[in-house]
Amino acid sequence: MALNRKIAYIDLSKGKIETRPIPLEVRKLYLGGRGLDAYLLYNHTEPNIDPLGPDNVLLVSAGILGATLASATSRTHIMAKSPLTGFLGSANMGGFFAPELRWAGFDHLVIKGRAERPVYLWIHNGEIEIRDASHLWGKSTTETQWAIRKELGDEDIKSAVIGVAGENLVRFANVMTGIKDAAGRTGMGAVMGSKNLKAIAVRGTMDIKIAHPVEALEYNKKFITQITSAKVSQTQGRLGTPFIWGATNPWGGVRTRNFQYNQHLYADDIEAERLDEIATETIGPYHMAGCFGCQVHCRAQYRIPSGPYAGVYDEGPEYTAQGAFGGEPECRSAITVLTGNHLSNQYGLDLLEAGSLISWAMELYEEGILTSKDTDGLDLRFGNDEALIEMIHRIANRKGWLGDALAEGGLRAAEKIGKDSIKYLIHVKGMSNLHSDERATPALALGIATASRGSDHLRSRPAIDLYHLPEEVLRKVYSNPISYSGPLSSDHREYLGKPWQVFWQETCYMGVDCLGICKYHTTFLGATLPNFEDWSRVLYLNTGLEMSPTDIWTVAERACNIERLYNIREGLTREHDWLVDRYFDEPCRRGAPDVIGAKIDREKFKKMIDEYYEHHGWDENGVPRPETLKRLGIDKEPSHLL
Amino acid sequence: MEREVMSTAESLAKTRTYGKFRCHNPSCMERITVPPGATRVKCPHCGLEWRVYWISPDFPRIRGPVWDVNQKLAQEAVAKKAKRKEGK
Repeated sequence: MALNRKIAYIDLSKGKIETRPIPLEVRKLYLGGRGLDAYLLYNHTEPNIDPLGPDNVLLVSAGILGATLASATSRTHIMAKSPLTGFLGSANMGGFFAPELRWAGFDHLVIKGRAERPVYLWIHNGEIEIRDASHLWGKSTTETQWAIRKELGDEDIKSAVIGVAGENLVRFANVMTGIKDAAGRTGMGAVMGSKNLKAIAVRGTMDIKIAHPVEALEYNKKFITQITSAKVSQTQGRLGTPFIWGATNPWGGVRTRNFQYNQHLYADDIEAERLDEIATETIGPYHMAGCFGCQVHCRAQYRIPSGPYAGVYDEGPEYTAQGAFGGEPECRSAITVLTGNHLSNQYGLDLLEAGSLISWAMELYEEGILTSKDTDGLDLRFGNDEALIEMIHRIANRKGWLGDALAEGGLRAAEKIGKDSIKYLIHVKGMSNLHSDERATPALALGIATASRGSDHLRSRPAIDLYHLPEEVLRKVYSNPISYSGPLSSDHREYLGKPWQVFWQETCYMGVDCLGICKYHTTFLGATLPNFEDWSRVLYLNTGLEMSPTDIWTVAERACNIERLYNIREGLTREHDWLVDRYFDEPCRRGAPDVIGAKIDREKFKKMIDEYYEHHGWDENGVPRPETLKRLGIDKEPSHLL
Repeated sequence: MEREVMSTAESLAKTRTYGKFRCHNPSCMERITVPPGATRVKCPHCGLEWRVYWISPDFPRIRGPVWDVNQKLAQEAVAKKAKRKEGK
């Protein structure tokens, strides 16, 4: 059965391992993946623990549809208390790890304690071993994976690992699998490093029995047609996510120079098509790869064509790398973007956070808040490609005063740097923003302000808001599976009705995260991609679990509320659901005529937040109302069902 | 659980067009038909000019703006706005 995968509790301090089945009633409440992880985090941690201490719990999971006959069920979810923000830590990666975990017999790992020396977990066909990893400590993310394969004599082993950044407890270190698949936000790699856990290696040959295999395959054909016929998927399959840059930079939706400007004027060398040319020249015409069970194939392969890392192989870069190492620091060279991407992958570093913090430091340097003494002589000005690359090394290795300070994340670094440095930090809840500029798009701004893991574009972003879709199309999307008759606007500059879109998208993304499906296969970048109605059918055919679209919506809502409860328990208030002053005070200076001059209206934004809370059933302070918790059956948490 | 009706996503897919893209000017967003093989196209509705990239022979996308033309138009629009404000 697809539902018979187990949960494993691993105590690294005691070397104790226990496995249990996951009861069906828990499945129906949370499905799996991020939803069940949120429940486990709330139930298995005490309030106010040290995120880098042994009491923090690292949760690793596959979605309920992982390794089934449904498309793109590759996602691995990782959760813990975040060492970067002090709130919910959560990150999600593609690749092949989650399906292998399921074939090895497990859906969820609950890892607590701290090993005395470096260790790794070896999980295979229902068995779990804790093995010595002293010889792996200090290795890069790929070196570690290849070494484990060699040691255990199996080339098909998939591992989730940390690099040097995780070992050095850089508070925004990633957990990585494959070459570039990164659980890359909120510092889950640092949590893994704090537990002396270098890797989790999995290999499984335990079949997953599909409930209705013939019908599931047949339905998946329809799913595949839906996905592959979408223009956005075709573009992604050709250019990867960098295509988004081509759509947002021209009209002024990309932050540059640490949010002083909103368009990169010298970006010809880092456009998607240029990166595609490099991949074609260095790898060949068929350079796009995909994750498990995916038809989009949005991951480019490349070799760095020149410079100190010439000839080195890597994958990507994604849209985030273009912004982190191109837009934000205003660097112009593709080589810089490709090299920055490569180093971040090897160190296991959240490149979005690294690029944002380096760009912040560049502004501080130009403002005179940081001096060459602080940078150990590095000329940290915008557009200095070499300084950017050097800072990546310094952060990952905690080298020099500034490298060590930035490795602590923005808020802690601002305390160390002092003066007015905090005024220039672009963050929400202590996590840096994606390099997109949301001042002309209040809906997108609301999404990053209220996202449960800090500033984030993957929690609730109504990206289709940028397409100016007719109202009837929006209504069709946003009135399903829960009816909605309030306002909806095709104008992305509008405030009215947008909180519903953000609320709907948040619930939708939680849905895919519970199922283990990639977000590019749902209503994220394209309005015609599958969502609740399709998932209900796919879930039934693959697992036998009968849940209506509304049932899945309720599961997602329940999980969103558990995340909210967790954050509130850790000290979150309404003040944390807010943006930095630049969003409200400094208008866009570049871009298309209607983007120039755009900024967020404070009063209207406050009202948006009120409305967003109301949709969730939260009070004016953002606290879930008792009746909301009762409706969702979570009024008696923690309930310790697992 | 048997259903034959189309889901929202499927029914919306019926409205898809090829050989066209939408203007990236947020206050325009009109569909532009691109002549086959063209490397530049001017939006007939707002005048902004775009560089074109072809995903496949019938599938164009915007590669980026023609910077000089678009910057000039943006500056003119902003100057007009400022003048209007002064007039008030």
